[in-house]
Amino acid sequence: MSEKRGCLGCSFPLAAGILLVFVVLFALGFAAGPLGKSIFGDLGLPGWLSVSRPDPRLPAETVFHLFGFPIANSIIAAWITIVVLVGLSYAVTHRMRLIPARLQAVFEAFLGWLYDLCREVAGEENGRRFFPMVATIFLFVAFNAWLSLLPGFGSLFVIGPEGGHVDLLRGANTDINMPLALALVSFIFVEYFGLRSGGVRYLGKFVNVGKFITGAGQIARGRLRAGLGGLVTGVIDIFVGILETLSELVRIVSFTFRLFGNMTAGEMLLLIAIFLVPWVFALPFYGLELLVGFVQALIFGGLTLVFLTVATAPHGAEAA
Amino acid sequence: MTPEAVKMLAIGLTVGLGMLGPGLGIGLIGYSAMQALGRNPEARGPIMTNMILSIAFAEAIGIYVLIVAIILAMIV
Repeated sequence: MSEKRGCLGCSFPLAAGILLVFVVLFALGFAAGPLGKSIFGDLGLPGWLSVSRPDPRLPAETVFHLFGFPIANSIIAAWITIVVLVGLSYAVTHRMRLIPARLQAVFEAFLGWLYDLCREVAGEENGRRFFPMVATIFLFVAFNAWLSLLPGFGSLFVIGPEGGHVDLLRGANTDINMPLALALVSFIFVEYFGLRSGGVRYLGKFVNVGKFITGAGQIARGRLRAGLGGLVTGVIDIFVGILETLSELVRIVSFTFRLFGNMTAGEMLLLIAIFLVPWVFALPFYGLELLVGFVQALIFGGLTLVFLTVATAPHGAEAA
Repeated sequence: MTPEAVKMLAIGLTVGLGMLGPGLGIGLIGYSAMQALGRNPEARGPIMTNMILSIAFAEAIGIYVLIVAIILAMIV
């Protein structure tokens, strides 16, 4: 039986050596970055050790024009995500075996977990129906977020249409139009599934004039007290219906800003961390960005799932 | 006070006061989730799922505050 080696599997001198390299890089970065420059003054370290000041611009910059449409750098990143996802799907499924190979096993485990989540939240047959939607949104958002961490995003320049330097690639989730598009798609699908499962009665949730009209009818027939009661409850119902409509619409805004804000804040955090201490300091923030990308994708998909479930809930459940 | 000072005050106060709510909210959600987990460790799955969901809603409010601060910082 081999003896267990300490220090995460490496021998002690190797681990100490690696730690030393990290400390030296961190010290170099600290000295060359703006923090070190303000504390120690200009030590004359070579220029390539420091990073230029980040210039985050909120709207995504146009790279070129295609048939009259301005193509922004986040759209190019979204295309790359699409190519990666399609390529991965092809690689996983073009030679599927009953006992899966490694890549297929990873994706089976992951999609199986997502499918179980859909079935657990939405029930058996609804879970099966909602799964493609939820999984697409999840995979798209997650891969957008993760691919934007690769080198090349934010460091490759081209000459833009106005002549200035423009980044070639930028994370697709940091352009506000992409989360907005996803939120609109999610909204449309929630309404579609709600209408399909509930019929026109689904709209009765928003335009709730039933009790009001009954109350008015009772007053017209002369029964004042019952009519007045119906009228008051009817007014409250109409108000609640308006609130429900508003809350559906605000959901779009909330989805958009949640995803956009998290991704843009993460991008700015990384830029500033790399600017302050150019070398080792940004590693924990990369880990944080990986986690945040996964969590935001899960939240977008999971919330879509929850709203779909609520929209397709049978009408009688509310009476309970 | 100079306009630059007022602008910095505005941005700082926006983020500082605005993040109080979501921070407290997420703490409360975590507290109740821990209590529920302590009472019934077998219900870990649903508890964690609902906790993550609620935390997402609360955090979104904090993100709105951040967006407002970024917009304020960009309007010179």
